[in-house]
Amino acid sequence: MLIVMWFRWCMQLRRYVIGFLAGLVALYVFFWLIATFVKYPEIKHLPLYTFSTVGRIVVTLVISIIWGVLFGILAATNKAASIILVPFIDLLQSIPILGYFPVVIAFLFSLGSFGVELSIIVLLFTSMAWSIFFGVVGAIHAIPVNILESAQSFGLKGWKYIRHVVLPAIAPAIVASSNLAWCDGWFFIIAAEYIQYKGEVVQPPSGGLGYLLAKAAYEYKDITLSVVLLVLITFMVVYFNFLTWHKLMERASTGTFKPVLKIELSGVGKLGIARATRRLHFGERLHWPRSLFVASQRLRRYARIEKAIVIILSLSTVTVILYSLIGQFPSFEIVQRGFSSPPARELGVLPLLIALTMGRLTIAYGISLIFAIGMGVLAAEHKRFAAIFYPLYDIGQGVPILALFPVLFLTLNQVFNSGVALEITCITMLVLDMIWYMFLNIVSAVKNIPTEIKEVGQLFGFKGIKRITHIVVPSILPSIVTGSILSWGTGWNTIIFAEYMPSTEPTIPPLSILGLGSLLDKAGYEYGNTVLLIFLLGVVATIVLSMEAFVWRRLLRKFEKYHVEV
Amino acid sequence: MNVLEIKGIAKTFTTGKSKTKVLDNVSFDVGTDEFVCIVGPSGCGKSTLLRIIAGLEKSDSGMILFHGKPQASPTPKITMIFQLFGLLPWKTALENIEVPLEVLGLKKEERVRIAKQHLKMVGLEGFEDTYPHDLSGGMKQRVGIARALALQPEVLLMDEPFSSLDELTAKASRSLVLEIWRDPSLPTNTFIMVSHNVEEAVFMADRVIVMSPRPGKVVGEVKIDILRPRTSYLRENVYFKHIDEVLAILEKGKEHVETQNTTGR
Repeated sequence: MLIVMWFRWCMQLRRYVIGFLAGLVALYVFFWLIATFVKYPEIKHLPLYTFSTVGRIVVTLVISIIWGVLFGILAATNKAASIILVPFIDLLQSIPILGYFPVVIAFLFSLGSFGVELSIIVLLFTSMAWSIFFGVVGAIHAIPVNILESAQSFGLKGWKYIRHVVLPAIAPAIVASSNLAWCDGWFFIIAAEYIQYKGEVVQPPSGGLGYLLAKAAYEYKDITLSVVLLVLITFMVVYFNFLTWHKLMERASTGTFKPVLKIELSGVGKLGIARATRRLHFGERLHWPRSLFVASQRLRRYARIEKAIVIILSLSTVTVILYSLIGQFPSFEIVQRGFSSPPARELGVLPLLIALTMGRLTIAYGISLIFAIGMGVLAAEHKRFAAIFYPLYDIGQGVPILALFPVLFLTLNQVFNSGVALEITCITMLVLDMIWYMFLNIVSAVKNIPTEIKEVGQLFGFKGIKRITHIVVPSILPSIVTGSILSWGTGWNTIIFAEYMPSTEPTIPPLSILGLGSLLDKAGYEYGNTVLLIFLLGVVATIVLSMEAFVWRRLLRKFEKYHVEV
Repeated sequence: MNVLEIKGIAKTFTTGKSKTKVLDNVSFDVGTDEFVCIVGPSGCGKSTLLRIIAGLEKSDSGMILFHGKPQASPTPKITMIFQLFGLLPWKTALENIEVPLEVLGLKKEERVRIAKQHLKMVGLEGFEDTYPHDLSGGMKQRVGIARALALQPEVLLMDEPFSSLDELTAKASRSLVLEIWRDPSLPTNTFIMVSHNVEEAVFMADRVIVMSPRPGKVVGEVKIDILRPRTSYLRENVYFKHIDEVLAILEKGKEHVETQNTTGR
C-alpha cells in the first residue's frame, strides 16, 4: 500500500517537474525567438523584464495576503472594526485604478527610482488586495454557527480560537481569493507599470512586461510585437496556474464545511454562487469566480441614508489622506484652482459626457448579455461547447485585455477614420471585459437549476425554445442581475482606459473620444489636475451607487421570489 | 387488470470512475384503482424507481408496461407530485397549473378554466395570483397536486409528498390525497407513493412494497386489509400488526444485504 502511494506520489512529482521544465524551456525558446526577430533596444532585457514583473506581482500578492488576512479577521471578528472597515474598503475597491494616481504621484516625486517601484506595487495592491479581504470576511461569516458554538463551549479564545477555528476555516478562501488577486494583478499590469504624468511616461527602473507591452503598442505601434508579448503574458498566466493554483485549490477545497466564496444576498446566494463555487468543476480543475463576493459586499443592505453618510465620511477621509500625503491641505483656493485649470472647461458639457459614456457601456452590456446567455447556456449543458468556452474564459479573465486596445485600434484605423476606430475599439474592449462575469454567473446558475425544476420541465414536456423561456431563463435571472452588477463595475474601470489612446510624442496630441472616461484620463495623465480627478471619481461613484440602488437592487428584490427552496 | 407492470428494472449511476448500483431487478405490478406505497431505507433507489416510472430516468434494463405497452418517456397519463412541490417560482399558482396544459396545446380560456377549477378543488380559491414564494408549504403542495390532476392522469406518482410538511399539515394533506383517490368523478385512481415513513404507508396504502438497502430490491410486500376510512383504526391492534410486519421485512432486507456484503469481501 505504502509503495503504491509512494509510486503515485513520484508519478505526480514527475509530471509536475516535467511541466515546470517544459515551461522553462518554452520560455527560453520564446525569449530567443523574440530576441532574434525583433530589434528594439528593450528586447534584450526581456528575461529581466519578465522576472521583475513576476516579482512585483508576487511581492504585492504576499503583501495583499498579509494585509487581507489580518484586516479580514479583524473586520469579521470585531464589530466596531467591521462598522468602520467594511464600508471603507468597499468604497476603496470600487475606486478605479486611476483614482489612486494622486497617491502614486507623491511617491514618484519624493523617493526616486525606489518610489517608482513602490508606486507600481501600490497600484497593483489597489487592484489585488480587496478580493482577499472580502474573501476572508465572507469565509469567516460562513463558518457554521455550531462550529463556533462548540469552540466557545470548549473555551477557545483569542489566538487559539483564530489558530484552530478561524485560520483552517478560511484557508480555502485565502487560496481562492489569492488566485483572483493574482489574475487581477496580471489584468491591470499595464495600468500599473506604464505610469504617465503630465504626458511623460515614467520608466520603471527594472522594466516590466506591462511596460514593454504598452511601449510596443503605444510608442512603437508595432502590432506584431504587441501580440507576441500578449501571448507571452497569456503563457505566464496559464503556466503559473498549472504550477501552483490548480493544485493548491484542489487541496484547499477538501475537508471544509462551506463553499469558499459566498454571495450574501437573500434569494441569490443559494441559486447562484454559493453552491456554484463548490460544484463548478470546469473539466478537471476548480475555478473560482473573480471577486464575486465584492458584489455581495456592495449589496449588503445598509439603509440608503446610512450608506450616504458612510460614503461622505469615507470620501472626505480619502481626500484628507490624499492631500496630506502630497503635503498640501485642501483649502478653497486649491479647489478653485483645480476647477479653473484645464481640462475643467469640459465640465460644462458633463451631462453629455456622462450620456456618451453610459451609452457605450449600455451597448457593450447589451452585447455581453446576449453572448453570455448564449455561451453560458451552451457551455453549461453541452460538454462540447464547454470545452471551447472554458479555456476562452480562463484566458479572458487573466490576460491584460487593455493591451489589445492599441492593437485593435491600429488595425481598425487602417479601415476607418480614427474617431470611428476608437469608438469601435472602446466598445469591443468593454465587451471583452464585461462578458466574463456574466458568462461565469450564467454557467454556474444554469448548472445549479434545482433538479426538481428541471424534472418538472421534463415531465410536462418542455422542449427547445419553450424550455429556455419558461424554465432556464427565469431560473437564472437573479444570477444575471448579480453578473450585471459585476460587469458594470468592471466596465466603469475599463472605460477609463478605453476612451483614451495615449500618445508619447509631444507633437501628436493623445487621441480620445468624448466621454467621462477620457475626461478622467485628461485630468489624471495629461494635466495632473488632482482636484478635478477626485471630483470626477465622485461623479463616477455617484452613478455606480445610484444604479445599484435604483436598478439592480430593485431587480434583485423582484427576482427574490424566483428562488427555489431546496 | 394491471395498469402498470414494472419488470426487472435495474439502474446503475456512474460518476467519474465510481459506479453505484441503486436498483437491482425490481419487479411488481400495480392494479387499477390501487394505492401502492413503496417503503425502504434512504438511498435504496425508491425515488429513482419512481422517476423511471415517470419517464424522467432511463433504466439500464427491464421495462415499464403501461396498459401492457412499454412506456419510457413522460406522458400526461402518468404524472407526478414532488417532495419539494416542484412549482415554478416565477409563475403564480394559476400559471403553474396552466403551464403543462399550454404544452398540451390548450387555448388560453380553456387553460384558465381548468386551472381555476382544480385550484378550487384543492381549496385554494382566491390564491390564483399568488406566487409560490408567498404560499405555505401545505398550500404549495396543494398547487402541485392541482397541477398534476389538471392533466387528468390515470396514474399519480408521489415522491415522499409529506416529508417536508409539519405533522398537522401533513395529516390534512394525507386526507386530501385519499379523498382524491376515492373520488369516482376523477379519472385519477391509481396512486404510487414513495415514503420512508412506515406508519404513513400503512395508513394510506392498499399494499406496501418493501425494498432493501442499496442496491434496492423488492424484499417483500404487505397487503393492508384495514377498512377505510382508517382514522378510527389508528389505535387498534390491526394497525400495529401491519406496521410490525413491514418493519420486520425491512429488518430482514437490511440483514440480507449486510450478509451479502460480508460474504462478498
